Amino acid sequence: MSSCENPNTDKDALMTRRQKFDGQTKICVKCKQNTGNVVVRYAVYCKSCFFLLVQTRFRKVLEPSINAVPDEPRRKALRAVGSLVIGFSGGTSSTALLDLVAKTYFAPRTIGDAKDDAALKGGKDHPRNAEKGIWKGNPAVCYVEVCGAFPGEKDRIEEIREVVGYAGKPFEYIPLRLEDAFDPNWWDRIGGGNIGTSARILGLDLSDEGLRLVHSSSNLNPHDALRMYLSSLPTQTAFYSAIQILIRILLLHTAASRKASHLVLGTSLTALSVNLISGIAQGAGFAVAEEAKEEWNPRPEQGIKVRVLRPMKDIGMKECAIWDWWNGLREHGRGKNAIGALTRDFIYGLESDYPATVSTVARTCAKLTPKEGSNGVCIMCERPAQHGVQGWKARISIRSYHEASSAVSGKSRPPHLTEDEISNLTKFPVNSSSATSNSASLTARLCYACHTLLTSRSSRGTSSNPAGNSSDVPLPLWVHPTIGSADAGNPVDNQGEADEGTRSVKLSRKDMESRIADFLLPDSE
Amino acid sequence: MSTLNLKIEFGGGLELLFSNQRSYQIALPSLVPKDNSTAEESLAMKEMKALDVDYLIHHMRDHMLQERVELFMEKDTVRPGILVLINDTDWELEGEGDYKLQEGDEVVFISTLHGG
Repeated sequence: MSSCENPNTDKDALMTRRQKFDGQTKICVKCKQNTGNVVVRYAVYCKSCFFLLVQTRFRKVLEPSINAVPDEPRRKALRAVGSLVIGFSGGTSSTALLDLVAKTYFAPRTIGDAKDDAALKGGKDHPRNAEKGIWKGNPAVCYVEVCGAFPGEKDRIEEIREVVGYAGKPFEYIPLRLEDAFDPNWWDRIGGGNIGTSARILGLDLSDEGLRLVHSSSNLNPHDALRMYLSSLPTQTAFYSAIQILIRILLLHTAASRKASHLVLGTSLTALSVNLISGIAQGAGFAVAEEAKEEWNPRPEQGIKVRVLRPMKDIGMKECAIWDWWNGLREHGRGKNAIGALTRDFIYGLESDYPATVSTVARTCAKLTPKEGSNGVCIMCERPAQHGVQGWKARISIRSYHEASSAVSGKSRPPHLTEDEISNLTKFPVNSSSATSNSASLTARLCYACHTLLTSRSSRGTSSNPAGNSSDVPLPLWVHPTIGSADAGNPVDNQGEADEGTRSVKLSRKDMESRIADFLLPDSE
Repeated sequence: MSTLNLKIEFGGGLELLFSNQRSYQIALPSLVPKDNSTAEESLAMKEMKALDVDYLIHHMRDHMLQERVELFMEKDTVRPGILVLINDTDWELEGEGDYKLQEGDEVVFISTLHGG
């Protein structure tokens, strides 16, 4: 058996790799008749049973969340309240997702179903009959082109259009670009709501943690605004995380504009594990549940509540790749990122040697619940934001070397930094009056992960901004309506905690008793 | 020495490392060095073995791969995230690298590194 001893002291203590296939039998564990073709986490399946396995897992995740009231007993029929949007990246699991949705819910009628067709008054394409399906209207396949963020990368919009074309009717193709997040024309087209003239010209000062909003003097086109926003971010990890956030919010707003009730994404079990761990590493632990499944409320005039589902989350990347290959589907993927790349390499290595570990990561994270609730939504990523972000940051970190100078001396100072570099890193201490000036700030409206994304500093220095100016950075358009509206939308309740943190007051026994008196049971004799 | 004709196919974008060609027909000797050495030199003193998938992978690295070896191989086997099918069957069912190749076998390498 494998050992848990210290391998440094005992060379025989290394955990041996369990054989993924023990060579006992090659017969399919499901039908017990056919010879197996594939091993899925220690179990052998033939081709037919493999297809059924994948489809069953896909439906098991998706179908309980289709009806407005999920998991109701004795569910009679699947009926969604809106339309369906599929987020498609061209990668392995996206391709499998599109194929599964098409085959499961939009399979073309076979020739000879005359009886069925005759029963459809007005013909099968009549709008009245479109609603005979689960979702209203036609499903849309939405692709976000990211070449605007990567100079030299190929524009794949037309290539993906061809791929979606193979899925056939009734799928509609909606191409988007990353720079649409900074394009007022796109915002108006999807009915995003009135930003207001003053909010439209707001920029972000990224030069200090206060994240002040400033009157923007720049008049950049969407592409340049995107490049400036991304190049102003402090780390390579932030660069790629910001792109992921932009893609997700673009998809959400597109879904809302189509009155969609469901947005399905192709995140596989493997990718989910990678996202969970890399997200936690970047401070997004509060939103682990949202990585698997979330509900998003657009502004009332924009659309209905959108359920974001990941029906491939119980299907590993291996199964997706095998599904694509055996169905003759071709992937058109790309992509890499910093912390994500490291995590992905780690998880892929785990999946090769210890396949059960990957599903364990996802299952364990599914059991996590935040210690405290949320009373707001982050203005940037539109996910629940935890209470007391700035207070937490103030408690767990030294925010300024100026403050800590008396505690840091001699060998305590990081040896690889010069005095000038230390001074640059701590130019604007959190408690300075400039952080609480009259200008509005984004800080109080952000979750911990987004605040860290915008302000985290690497000891190697910040990433360079070609314009050399991080004090007037454009913001994605969905941020503006919340800033511009009178009630400031739904900000996170951190206003009073930006500088002071929280104070705890010790109650006397008598005070405690009076507070809970209503809940105490009477002493029984 | 006899040769074995094999068909190699690539999926998941792996063809980008192999001159953008998705399918190859290659011929390899039926007996190869046990140390997976693919150099064309005198084999008289070397210990030999029947052609297997391990040797095929080394041959592909040394004679077919155009760039970025680390994206294809890691520690003498395929990199984690690359699937191998031998005659439409998972190579884990066939003994992975130890599978002895036969005439006309089809080996497919699929990359799962383009996720999402």
